[in-house]
Amino acid sequence: MTTSLDAPPVATALPRPVPKPSGDRRRRVALRVLALVVLYGLWELAARTTNNPTFIPSSGAVWHQLVVTSSIHDGVRGYSGHLLVEHLAVSLRRILIGSAIGVAGGLVLGLLMGTVTWLRVVTEPVVTFVRALPPLAYFSLFIIWFGIDETPKLWLLSIAALPPVAVATAAAVQGAPTGLVEAARALGATRWQVTRDVTLPHALPEIFTGVRLAVGVAYSSVVAAETINGVPGIGGMVRDAQRYSQTDVVVLGLFAIGLSGLLIDALLRTAENRLIPWRGRA
Amino acid sequence: MSSADPASPGDAVALSGVEHRYGDVTAVGPVDLTVPGGEFLVLVGASGCGKSTLLRLIAGFEQPTSGSVRTAGTPSPEPRSGGGGLSAPVPGRGAGLVFQQPRLFPWRSVGGNVALALRYAGLPATPDRVNQLLERVGLHDVAKRRTWQISGGQQQRVAIARALAVENPLLLLDEPFAALDALTRERLQEDLRRVSHETGRTCVFVTHSVDEAVFLGSRVIVLTPRPGRIALDLPIDLPRAGLAPDELRGLPRFAALRAEIGAAVRSRSQEVPA
Repeated sequence: MTTSLDAPPVATALPRPVPKPSGDRRRRVALRVLALVVLYGLWELAARTTNNPTFIPSSGAVWHQLVVTSSIHDGVRGYSGHLLVEHLAVSLRRILIGSAIGVAGGLVLGLLMGTVTWLRVVTEPVVTFVRALPPLAYFSLFIIWFGIDETPKLWLLSIAALPPVAVATAAAVQGAPTGLVEAARALGATRWQVTRDVTLPHALPEIFTGVRLAVGVAYSSVVAAETINGVPGIGGMVRDAQRYSQTDVVVLGLFAIGLSGLLIDALLRTAENRLIPWRGRA
Repeated sequence: MSSADPASPGDAVALSGVEHRYGDVTAVGPVDLTVPGGEFLVLVGASGCGKSTLLRLIAGFEQPTSGSVRTAGTPSPEPRSGGGGLSAPVPGRGAGLVFQQPRLFPWRSVGGNVALALRYAGLPATPDRVNQLLERVGLHDVAKRRTWQISGGQQQRVAIARALAVENPLLLLDEPFAALDALTRERLQEDLRRVSHETGRTCVFVTHSVDEAVFLGSRVIVLTPRPGRIALDLPIDLPRAGLAPDELRGLPRFAALRAEIGAAVRSRSQEVPA
């Protein structure tokens, strides 16, 4: 007979990520490659059976356009006077500036929304409203206000990128874990120190997810932003090509947008793993 | 409030007529209690007897519904006046706190957690000082590790080092070893016993383990369940140092105290249907 009221000992082994067996990984890579090959085969099949390059261009035609738009030929520089990489660079620059402004604004707004109750009550419907609008809908308004140059495009991307960050930040800041806040206060942290050392780092993973979403939204909005006076710009290039029924250039533009988008998301994910190693641990 | 002051100079904690209610339910009290400086007080009781609430009252995280809670060591610029220089507790000032869960900040390394505590206290957070604190709780070469890369027992040691970093006269521990396995728990008990003896700090330790209470305490208080009141207040007349843990547990007096306290806890917990 024991006088102890102890509960049975609780195992405290920490969950560790189990390394996946390499065979599993190899199989997944193989599956992806296979899927790509099948997709490519279907594309070629569709192109050959329809035999209408304006409807479905062949992969060879798209490849040819890649070469043409990336070089100077017969005195013509790339497409509409700009190389493909230049189109892409201009669009990426717009995305970068637009999302940077949108993310900064979203962070500030989200922090305020998450900490000041009356501000959340006032701004939440507005943010949700803007979030629900397709960017092309308010682009017309920006054209009227700011003309057709760079300004309305950057405004469009900023406004499109802001809501995801604001919503994510507000939610993350509100969910500060009481246990850790108490631990910090027990160590003598001031209100500001609790915000800086507990609330913000705890919110960072969620905020970063918001940032990735925002960059994605800016990416998908750049084509809309470049529908008017969009050359140079990858969206402007696609738009022009569509007007002249250069379907192969359209498809090339889609590939350029999609692949660079994947690359940027991979970069953001790497940055996330580096900067926020505690994701999923708090 | 200071008119009927039972506290004398040298006391670390003074509770007078402390009651705490959640709505209609009285969780604690009334409790009158003074803890002299340097004492290792253990509060024992079955689950839900309000012992954690009592500790949170002493930490300043909860305010008593009636009565007064005052502790030493809230640093104030004015010279201390009568009543033992006690004042109402403010979280983070005057008392280090260790919870049942380590509550480490995962965005900081192990050493970073201790350094943060030093910085909050306005002390220099040098790597040497951080390592010194970690070594005091029996940790070596872990300062650079992430908090999830060390075991649960080590995490709780870091939590204790963090609470010790701030040189408060008072250390409050809320079932800090309850979630650990038996072996780790015994090791941490031994080390806490050693550390509290070395630093001479006043400790208030909450547990539901009678064995732990007798092993650690220089005084044990058994609380009744709902509302938590003092059922038994017993000084532990065992040698505080110079004995190995097994020798201490082997003493007939140890067994006698354990039996007495265990009986008090059990008779009290039967009053509440489980």
